[in-house]
Amino acid sequence: MAAQRGALRASRLLFRRAQRKVLDGVDLTLAPGDILALLGANGAGKTTLLRCLLGLLRPHAGGISLDDVPLATLSRRALARRIAYVPQVHAAPFPYSVREVVGLGRLPHHGPFAAPSEADRAAVEAAIDQLGIGALAKRPYTELSGGERQLTLIARALAQGARLLIMDEPVSGLDFGHQMRLLERLERLAADGYGILKTTHHPDHALACASRVALLHEGRIEADGPPAEVLSPQAIRRLYRVDVEILRSPAGRGAFVPAGVD
Amino acid sequence: MTRPLARPVPPSVADTPRRGTLTLLPMLVLLLVATALVALGSGRYPLSAADVLRFFASAAGWPLLDPERYDLLYNLLVEIRLPRVLAAILVGAALAVSGAAFQGVFRNPLVSPNLLGVLSGAAFGAAAGMLFGGSWLLVQASAFGCGLIAVAVALMIARAFGQGSLVMLVLGGIISGALFAALLSVIKYVADPYNELPAIVIWLMGSLASVDIRDALWVSIPMGGAIVALCAAGRWLDALAMGDDEARSLGVPVTAVRYVVIGCATLLGALTVSLAGMIGWVGLIVPHVARLLCGPGHALLLPASALLGASFLLAADLLARALTDSEIPIGIVTELLGIPVFLLVLRRARKGWS
Repeated sequence: MAAQRGALRASRLLFRRAQRKVLDGVDLTLAPGDILALLGANGAGKTTLLRCLLGLLRPHAGGISLDDVPLATLSRRALARRIAYVPQVHAAPFPYSVREVVGLGRLPHHGPFAAPSEADRAAVEAAIDQLGIGALAKRPYTELSGGERQLTLIARALAQGARLLIMDEPVSGLDFGHQMRLLERLERLAADGYGILKTTHHPDHALACASRVALLHEGRIEADGPPAEVLSPQAIRRLYRVDVEILRSPAGRGAFVPAGVD
Repeated sequence: MTRPLARPVPPSVADTPRRGTLTLLPMLVLLLVATALVALGSGRYPLSAADVLRFFASAAGWPLLDPERYDLLYNLLVEIRLPRVLAAILVGAALAVSGAAFQGVFRNPLVSPNLLGVLSGAAFGAAAGMLFGGSWLLVQASAFGCGLIAVAVALMIARAFGQGSLVMLVLGGIISGALFAALLSVIKYVADPYNELPAIVIWLMGSLASVDIRDALWVSIPMGGAIVALCAAGRWLDALAMGDDEARSLGVPVTAVRYVVIGCATLLGALTVSLAGMIGWVGLIVPHVARLLCGPGHALLLPASALLGASFLLAADLLARALTDSEIPIGIVTELLGIPVFLLVLRRARKGWS
């Protein structure tokens, strides 16, 4: 595969926890413009892989590089300007306003000891506008709904100026409408040139909103490719031990329906 | 594209929290100066704020007082009242900043500076110093040293059992605090019940009465340094409050920041005990009041807490002196004052704690 500009590439990652191989030779690439959905059963190693890619865990073997530069040689601040982490929706201990939370995304730019500059503030407002949460800007983050918090965290990632976003189950805890609107939002970000890696427990979402799907099974990437090729009933069966049928709508959209469980 | 200068600033930018900095901190400085003037003026020989100001103008080389009155006021203000006022400002600011920093680093608004056992350790150290008939200097040094040791024990427990995770730090602090509380009981039990025990008990209630100006000035150097260092780390504390992984992904060296903040906050706590004994509640309630005034952002919260804490302790010391003929220990006043304030704050602050 040709090297893509700005791509995050993991090769033959090995990560052990108490002798068990959590990741066992993982190869994965995230390039700008991609929406890569990472599917795997509970305990398959998704979170460990995410944390390795973010530089939060150091793999025991194998390498991760960003634009062909090893991740380990980049400073935390430099990394934070290139890769942003969008965690699962959480509660903050103090009632920061939405604008303050998004403003934290500028920390890697202005550093801890300087006040945010005019450019930093403009970036914060741009990120808030891009996610359409201007009306919430003054509200305390602690009083928002799950969907609004998720949008705030994504706005923070955009304020970081990073082109690669790593999202841990971005739709978990959101209602159906917010899930669909969020997925649509992700597609627009990818169209703007952001590379998005998201873990998900919904094969349907991977089918509907992803340019690539990677299946993580027992610490290995079993398949990596376009959703229509990777997401077969056989693959779902291997991953989750559930029999499914794939249904196609007249418009060509697909969805999985369970047909049997062991 | 319009010219950059012609682009209208969105109205929302204009009222970012930074606007508050411009007015809130000077107001708190004014409050502190006013409280300090009242504190310098009150006592058995009351002076008006104008008298106090006239004295300081004279001291600065602008002679507004005749020499005789100047000498009288010099004795009264500089030798008797100033050490105490200075100590109240230092201790109040140190406890409040230490509490706010601990609350940020442990992501918990109910944490007090004693979380890792610094005050328990320092109390034991002071009592041990008194038991061994130590000089004032030995008592201070022993209080300071044992405060640091108690936190070191807590950190070692946390590292040994949980790689320094937050929960293990809290648990380590509980164990270390309990250990030093037990050791303090041992000291109290073996102390001579007629002389040493009352001295220990009274000292532990806290007092600013016996602070010497040289002690206060000397302590102000490390205290000021630690307060400034913590205030400077305010934006890092905001990121830390979001969680370790998030803070790291925002470029914050989490472990280093956590230990430096704990180190500075511990230094502050131990210094306050060695200067003025145990003074409770300031570190818990002042940050809450400050948070209501300026919001949770630590870059503003920490300096605001320092100023507010200094004013609060000055006011508490005024009460301690004024309520009865013989003064009551200030630790009792802060506790009696602290509980109703805390209940009031709790009503307002509860909302944000979901």
